[in-house]
Amino acid sequence: MNAFFATIHTSFRRQLTYRAANLSGLFTNLMFGFFRAAVLIALYQEQTSVNGLSIRGAITYAGLTQSLIGVMSFFHWYDLMHTVYDGRVGADLLRPINYFSYWLGIDIGRAFGSLIIRGLPLFLVFSFFYNIILPESLIQWSLFALSIVFALLISFSWRFLVNLASFWTPNALGIGRFAFGLSWIFSGFYFPLALFPDWLANFCRLTPFGASLYFPIQVFIGNIRGAELLQGFLIQIFWIVTLVIFGHIILAQGVKKLVIQGG
Amino acid sequence: MRRNLSLLFRLLRIQIRSQLQYPASFVMEVLSQAMILGFFFAAFALTLSQFGDIGGWTLGEVALLWGLAEFSFGMMDMVFSGFDYDAFGPLVIKGTFDQLLLRPVNITLQVLGSRFVLRRLGKIIEGLIIFIIGLSLSNVDWTLGRILYIPVLILCQVLFFGSLFIFGATTTFWTKERLEILNVFTYGGSEIMSYPMHIFPRAIRLLFSFVVPAIFLSYFPMIYILDKPNPLNMPVFTSFLAPFIAISMFWLSLKFWRFGIKNYQSTGS
Repeated sequence: MNAFFATIHTSFRRQLTYRAANLSGLFTNLMFGFFRAAVLIALYQEQTSVNGLSIRGAITYAGLTQSLIGVMSFFHWYDLMHTVYDGRVGADLLRPINYFSYWLGIDIGRAFGSLIIRGLPLFLVFSFFYNIILPESLIQWSLFALSIVFALLISFSWRFLVNLASFWTPNALGIGRFAFGLSWIFSGFYFPLALFPDWLANFCRLTPFGASLYFPIQVFIGNIRGAELLQGFLIQIFWIVTLVIFGHIILAQGVKKLVIQGG
Repeated sequence: MRRNLSLLFRLLRIQIRSQLQYPASFVMEVLSQAMILGFFFAAFALTLSQFGDIGGWTLGEVALLWGLAEFSFGMMDMVFSGFDYDAFGPLVIKGTFDQLLLRPVNITLQVLGSRFVLRRLGKIIEGLIIFIIGLSLSNVDWTLGRILYIPVLILCQVLFFGSLFIFGATTTFWTKERLEILNVFTYGGSEIMSYPMHIFPRAIRLLFSFVVPAIFLSYFPMIYILDKPNPLNMPVFTSFLAPFIAISMFWLSLKFWRFGIKNYQSTGS
């Protein structure tokens, strides 16, 4: 357990050292947040609410998705893959810590660092420009925090699984691009899922991608309550359990297949 | 010149051949990329159907803007792959760029021939399909001038995006890393160009008119092609500035690139 926390700590500090990169990423995400918000405002025009999503909620959605990109590292993460191709994986597998936990530790540290240095400042700046919605009670803040932790676990397990493809093939980048493309599509990243036709929105909600982006945002802007809220958390837990178990099974298979290159 | 060109084609042929080693997986990747990218437009279309129009523009009209920008960006991203700062940055950091400088061949040509990402065909196909959707959904009063302006616009946009890539690649000589901020102008620029630009706040519009003059390459020209009213009250000639702006931008970017190479200091790694 000590090794796990040490991994988180080191990774967190590493993330904080890249100040220029973080700042430049922050500015980039902020600008995209402005773009998306402007599009939503132009769509809403005089309407205050569409499909239960208010214009304020939609604008908050645009800012929040951009704040969370870095934290969830949803669409671009090949770190594990790189270690497989340059041979570092050999040493990593020998560490006195479970391989999955090792990478999870790294990812938690990275996500936390990114949240502090990139996600939070971004949302703060965004909120100066727009009239956004904030959670109204301590309970809602806590539920949001919980949904974010779950979301990171889903996001990480998915990325771990995708990166494991590199244990089998010397060029898994194509698989990665496809897999991360699915995250783009089903997470509700482009436009709020609430603005989609019901059948599509409902489908996206059930996927691990909707569960790790759309759901936490819904909790934040407070347009999900009661049974639906509980259902959302259950979907998250289902995906965590499924993806973690699956990740371990695939890893066990992969280690048998793995050919370590060079070094 | 002829020697240079034949060398460039040779470099590109090697690139293409190596990428076509596994044709089935290549085709799969191109198609899946086209689908994934196309979903952004589909998501927009589904969202727009809840509202009807955006800033007075219909789905078909936006599709023309969108398809054009995607198609041109895809073309550029393939041809100017070597200047993609995501790939060029590491070249500078690792010192591989020094190797290129030592060779007795024009450096711009070597960078251009160093990478040719054929799978960008996915984006090109996607852009083309969206453009065709736009054609079928909108009522354009096609005159000869309008028909001829489309290919000119594509060429202008390719040069425009290309110049942004060259600018971006050049900055890595000093920054020694690719800065994500460049994405605001390249990928962000292409996203902005996909919408009727009067919907954006003034500050964003000014940024994309005077710093990165994207507005002259998609929105103003499309106003002429679709014969739409111009809520920004710009004079008619702004619809036809695209070639002038694209060529100037491209020329400037090459100047900057040469300046960067002159002042290049190796990382020494």
